[in-house]
Amino acid sequence: SSSNSSFSRELRDDLVHSSSHTASNKAQILTMPQFNLRDNLIKCELLKNEDQYTYLEDFSIFLGTYNVNGQAPKESLSPWLNSTVLPPDMYCIGFQELDLSKEAFFFNDTPKEMEWTNAVGRALHPDAKYALVKLVRLVGIMLIFYVKKEHAEFISVVEAETVGTGIMGRMGNKGAVAIRFLFHNSSICVVNSHLAAHIEEYERRNQDYKDICSRLQFRQLDPTQPPVTIMKHDAVLWIGDLNYRITDLDVSSVKELIDKKDFETLHRIPLLFLQFHFKDVKFMQHQAEAFTITNDGQVPCQFEFITKPNEPTYCKPWLTANPPKGFIAQGASVDVELEVFVNRSTAPKLNSGAEEIEDILVLHLERGKDYFIPVTGNYLSSCYGTSILSLCNLKEPVQEMPQETLRKLVSAEMSLGENAVSTEKPLDIPKELWMMVDHLFRNAIKQEDIFQQPGLRSEFAEIRDCLDTGIPDSLPGSNHSVAEALLLFLDALPEPVVPYSFYPQCLENCSSASQCEKIISMLPRCHENVFNYLAAFLRELLKNSASNRLDSKILATIFASLLLKSQKKQDLGEKRKTQEFFHHFLVQGPS
Amino acid sequence: MAKKTYDLLFKLLLIGDSGVGKTCVLFRFSDDAFNTTFISTIGIDFKIKTVELQGKKIKLQIWDTAGQERFHTITTSYYRGAMGIMLVYDITNAKSFENISKWLRNIDEHANEDVERMLLGNKCDMEDKRVVPKAKGEQIAREHGIRFFETSAKANINIEKAFLTLAEDILKKTPVKEPNSENVDISSGGGVTGWKSKCCS
Repeated sequence: SSSNSSFSRELRDDLVHSSSHTASNKAQILTMPQFNLRDNLIKCELLKNEDQYTYLEDFSIFLGTYNVNGQAPKESLSPWLNSTVLPPDMYCIGFQELDLSKEAFFFNDTPKEMEWTNAVGRALHPDAKYALVKLVRLVGIMLIFYVKKEHAEFISVVEAETVGTGIMGRMGNKGAVAIRFLFHNSSICVVNSHLAAHIEEYERRNQDYKDICSRLQFRQLDPTQPPVTIMKHDAVLWIGDLNYRITDLDVSSVKELIDKKDFETLHRIPLLFLQFHFKDVKFMQHQAEAFTITNDGQVPCQFEFITKPNEPTYCKPWLTANPPKGFIAQGASVDVELEVFVNRSTAPKLNSGAEEIEDILVLHLERGKDYFIPVTGNYLSSCYGTSILSLCNLKEPVQEMPQETLRKLVSAEMSLGENAVSTEKPLDIPKELWMMVDHLFRNAIKQEDIFQQPGLRSEFAEIRDCLDTGIPDSLPGSNHSVAEALLLFLDALPEPVVPYSFYPQCLENCSSASQCEKIISMLPRCHENVFNYLAAFLRELLKNSASNRLDSKILATIFASLLLKSQKKQDLGEKRKTQEFFHHFLVQGPS
Repeated sequence: MAKKTYDLLFKLLLIGDSGVGKTCVLFRFSDDAFNTTFISTIGIDFKIKTVELQGKKIKLQIWDTAGQERFHTITTSYYRGAMGIMLVYDITNAKSFENISKWLRNIDEHANEDVERMLLGNKCDMEDKRVVPKAKGEQIAREHGIRFFETSAKANINIEKAFLTLAEDILKKTPVKEPNSENVDISSGGGVTGWKSKCCS
């Protein structure tokens, strides 16, 4: 026998938030890929008769969130955590800004973790015993999950994950941590997030939210199963310092509106022709199309996108289908989303025209038809993912040139190296790089938190388009967006500024400033130029550290990871050596 | 275990250029019907028809493939496992006939070595639009040592005959089980060597 948990709605106390666990979403369960056909048939019958063998029970979860602004706990948390008459069944306590020190930021290590965990542990409701199930922390964002001792045996599959949404989507000063678990038969995901600050930054907060939803993924125990995202749970409990503010309404009217509002909006795109064309695909610009698979047959049906011969995966790396497989009961349907996203690993070949946005998906129905779904599109070449050498040989914006020119440049470069295109003197550095650095030099030299604050994705799109088309004449977007666009440019280079072949000797000689300089002088000319140009710019930035709050350590951390890349995964020791290497160039100019 | 309603299962495949009438040929055979609206097959579909040959119930699982050029690399992956392949062209479409040698090459490259092949010149009811003489079809079939029929799915000419002949030819190559032996003796491997010796003779 099994049970199905539900949580009662309780508005008595502001601090005890509860979520009404909906009757399990059958359609969603049926699309879960982990069942084979036999299991599916059983599951399908079980779901139909769910009411006969399940019963609902109410549980209470205490959700609390606290931005502690780097402080240590000074007084008891009991008035906060022990404020309900009855002891809650579970506690999920989230903290933000646990530790604001640089050590916490760079090495993700802080004594505050223990201090606040102990403070929470001491202040839980005295009428019950609790077990600490899981703790997860990303820099200053921490989530602690306690459960009443008697429920502990019904908790299973506990997993924790983190995702940073700071600059370059990497740094953990903003982002989210999450814990997922099964309680009886219900899957629950608790998220604690710290979103971008300031009222006017709602767009960035929305972007953070979307990023957290798409990038926070729990690995499954079975490695062949796709990872589980936040929204794939029966109940999602989201807490945190969200930084959204409602300024015009008082608390009671807001609550009333929440009660009235229907949050459910369902979109169904009917499918007529299984053929998709993605128009004007651009670097790092998500495009998606959806279609519905309806099972109008008499039996349950299983579908899967299958791998074509001689190909490693069911689709090209710039394409994904979600869900890639699933199960549809009689009369039910499933929405499948096809998503195109060109990143730094797929951009180089698309830029040069060596590959195109073209694929055929094979949608296989178990014991039935295979549908071919052609996916086509046109890709707009970009300076993102184009080599330094090619860009130095392009006098016009990338999209002003016929793609043939770029293709020839790339293939000549492959075979002949640096001396490939010598009819005209190449530019010293890519003009795109110059535009961004020059813009920052003129406008952002004193910008607070430059290279620390993430930019806006919408502005990145405008900056990329400007670099690639030459329109408008000057770069759009905020300083932070231009700064991130520059970092993304360096990150997307097919061959890093310090080419892979020079990487080992950079590590070996990282402690000697003169050796480091010598290595840089041996780089291909345009790479050397770019390196020196960037270092000179960063030294200018450091002269203004009183205003922009940068120091050479921060800049070395950020830029070393982009300029000195390894084709293998770097360990912490290696990373420190790359930082040491680049640090020489930040504290002194070339001798 | 469920009782089998057939003695043998043959997997057949229809290939050929887009628009030559593969789906109509199959539809005529499986449902004895003809549909004039042209809907290009975008994928792979199959129909089942059970026939009786030499006292045996034979279940034919017939796969219909997309003919469009852009799908060729995918459709060839379905060749393996087919015991018989029907290669169809359109007698009113010269291009579809010219492509026969390309399709035959595809079979050589991707199908089982012992696959039974057959050539069909479809739409033979449209005599006034004919551009491929029957003799040319016969000639290319002779050159490759395969059977040939002119067919019409619309006028129901030679459709059933073609499928039954192909099934018979496969049946001839199929090792016969002793009627009183319940189990197939794998160790003897008689069936496989039997085919090979026939091929080489």
